[in-house]
Amino acid sequence: MITVTNITKRFGRHTAVDNISFTINEGETVVFLGASGCGKTTMLKMINRLLEPDSGEIRIDGTPITQRRPEDLRRGIGYVLQNYGLFPHYTIEENIGIVPQLLGWKKDVLSKRVTALMEKLQLPPEQYRSAYPAALSGGQQQRVGIARALAADPPVLLMDEPFGALDPITRSSVRKDFRELDELRAKTIILVTHDVQEAFELADRIFLLDKGRIIQEGTPDDLLFRPAGDYVRLFLQEQRFQLEAMRLKAGDYPALNRAFDNFKNRQS
Amino acid sequence: MEQNESLWHFMQQQSGKLLQQTMQHVGLTFISLLIAVLIGLPLGIYITRNKKAAGIVLGIAGILQTIPSIALLGFLIPLLGIGPKPAIMALFLYALLPIIRNTSEGINGVDPGVKEAALAMGMTTTQRLVKVELVLAFPVIMAGIRTATVINVGVGTLAAYIAAGGLGEFIFGGIALNNTNMILAGAIPAALLAILLDFLLSLIQRTGSRGRKMALGLLPLALVVFSSFYLLPIGFGSRLLAGFTPEFMGRKDGDIGLRSEYGLKIRTVVISDAVMYKAIYEHKLDVISGYSTDGRLKAYDLITLDDDKKIFPPYYAAPVVRNDVLTKYPELSPVLNLLAGKINDSIMTLLNYRVEYLNQDPEQCARDFLVSLGLYRPPRNGAKGPVRLGSKIFPEQYILTAIYAMLVRGYTDLQVESKTGLGGTKICFDALKDGQIDMYPEYTGTALLAILHAPADLVDHLAGSGDSVYAYVRDRFSREYNLSWLDPIGFNNAYALMMRRSQARQLDILTISDLANYLKRDR
Repeated sequence: MITVTNITKRFGRHTAVDNISFTINEGETVVFLGASGCGKTTMLKMINRLLEPDSGEIRIDGTPITQRRPEDLRRGIGYVLQNYGLFPHYTIEENIGIVPQLLGWKKDVLSKRVTALMEKLQLPPEQYRSAYPAALSGGQQQRVGIARALAADPPVLLMDEPFGALDPITRSSVRKDFRELDELRAKTIILVTHDVQEAFELADRIFLLDKGRIIQEGTPDDLLFRPAGDYVRLFLQEQRFQLEAMRLKAGDYPALNRAFDNFKNRQS
Repeated sequence: MEQNESLWHFMQQQSGKLLQQTMQHVGLTFISLLIAVLIGLPLGIYITRNKKAAGIVLGIAGILQTIPSIALLGFLIPLLGIGPKPAIMALFLYALLPIIRNTSEGINGVDPGVKEAALAMGMTTTQRLVKVELVLAFPVIMAGIRTATVINVGVGTLAAYIAAGGLGEFIFGGIALNNTNMILAGAIPAALLAILLDFLLSLIQRTGSRGRKMALGLLPLALVVFSSFYLLPIGFGSRLLAGFTPEFMGRKDGDIGLRSEYGLKIRTVVISDAVMYKAIYEHKLDVISGYSTDGRLKAYDLITLDDDKKIFPPYYAAPVVRNDVLTKYPELSPVLNLLAGKINDSIMTLLNYRVEYLNQDPEQCARDFLVSLGLYRPPRNGAKGPVRLGSKIFPEQYILTAIYAMLVRGYTDLQVESKTGLGGTKICFDALKDGQIDMYPEYTGTALLAILHAPADLVDHLAGSGDSVYAYVRDRFSREYNLSWLDPIGFNNAYALMMRRSQARQLDILTISDLANYLKRDR
């Protein structure tokens, strides 16, 4: 469980995160959603201490994160970057194995783990094990990035716009494989995105952020059908029809008609 | 073709020296490089962590880089003396900037995403530095080390000016002696050395990330091994240390003659004329080669050793004048000859001392001298002429030219144009021959060896007799160049070996033979 209490972070005179508090339960997938500059990435990076807050406190499973050495803390938290951040001088196997290697895993255990992960992420081990990142496509590189974050089986996974740098087709295929990973079942996941559809597809709960504050915190249905104000409504407007259609169960025609009518009314 | 063959011949003949100089050169280059890496690499890393310090550190290293190398050596001599210490210090300072700058730029150039990932995966900053930043910055850092190496090989030639050895000994000796083969024997190996070292380092630079771990381990080892080259050639020598100019080292009437005629075996370093006198005064050297009328003899309380076997040809000074000028102005020759026999060695030394060390004006000095002899006459401000007087670029010649100008103005109606500072012998002589000047003071020995290139056996035959050398050069100048040597002024500015007066007295050394005998006993 991650507990965030009254966190504020400023960069010079600009307040990036403004007195935010929230709790994330074990095994939950939470999406920080918002436009660029809303403070979502800043909030994420404070959880593994890539950034230090100006005030407030973050606890993981009851322990303040400042009580642990940053490197020990980070080895227990998976991290996926938008631009992959793979080490160009490491092979794919070495890239995936960084955290276990830092933790001092035995070679054969590590090797088996890497093989298993590569298979799960659709990266044929015999073909890619000894390749360097430069030889891989963007989608494949991000699969390696995800495998690297999962390698030491951390209970918490932080993802900073993980699919943001991919083209739409690759994005949906990587996202689909990601969603189906059994590795993720018991993990607490925090994902940052500005992509509304992605947020609705992956989230148990969505935090919609603006100007460093949480505007609304709730399930996708809460945001869609019980928006907490104009900002939320406006933010979802563009894709409301697709989102509503997505939330409906197959065969619920009256609801679908209602949604379509709403859509038509807005168009006219 | 002949040039190539004789160059090859020269290099074969001097292969021992060439090898020693090359080893010294490699040694100097790498010792300073090693220190520069040991200090520059951490500094470069430090300024990536502390942006405020970056400007200061790079600024200081940049300023050091802009100091001309000769000037830098000049600054360092009072602090570190002569020999390898100031040379290594200077090379180290030059190597610093490229290493610091490339280290910091290399690290700053690593993809920020990769750097963030390294931390996010749980690396400590040290692990990130070693496993990620340094490895990825390696090609850029190596480029800096390559630049520093090439700079060091080039600037390292200047080490020969301050008794630190290296290939500069041949280069500067060759320039002083107008000996192209000697210049090339130093310059070609130096250039090849720069190319070779640059190539070897480029191989290391291009190693893939696999080979880099090995390269990072091998590099310091190679630096240390090459550094030790400097120490190898230092043989076992005599108790006394001699410092000779590059020119003196290569001359028959210099180091070569000392060895063959006197059997003088003394440990020798090559050093520039400019710092030599100071070095002997400060007991860094015991014997130096110099000119017998140099003002610094007096300034530093040195004595010249008697050349009892007469290996140094006489360098009597006399005015050399164009024949057509003498014919056109018949009154000129008697006036110039007023000075004949009037200045002996000690008077010339004193005049030089006054100009060089007491910083008196050559004009004033010339006037005082003429007044003391009762020869001074105020200028007649005549309208004939003008006569153009030239001089080489050192104080003694300025003084002589000033004296001659005063005599001509006082005794004739001729006007005088002084063209002082015409560089070396070649420039002055060519100017006289081509009629751009009408006269300048020249030395018999210089004319014999540097202008007429007299064959060795003739030099041996003439050496020792001032009169016969004078007669020989006067005769050939008159026949071949239509130039006249007037009567000698009196002093003999020959090469001489010099020692500190106190030490020479203590060891009871008056002649070069005494010195040679003392060194033989010493062994």
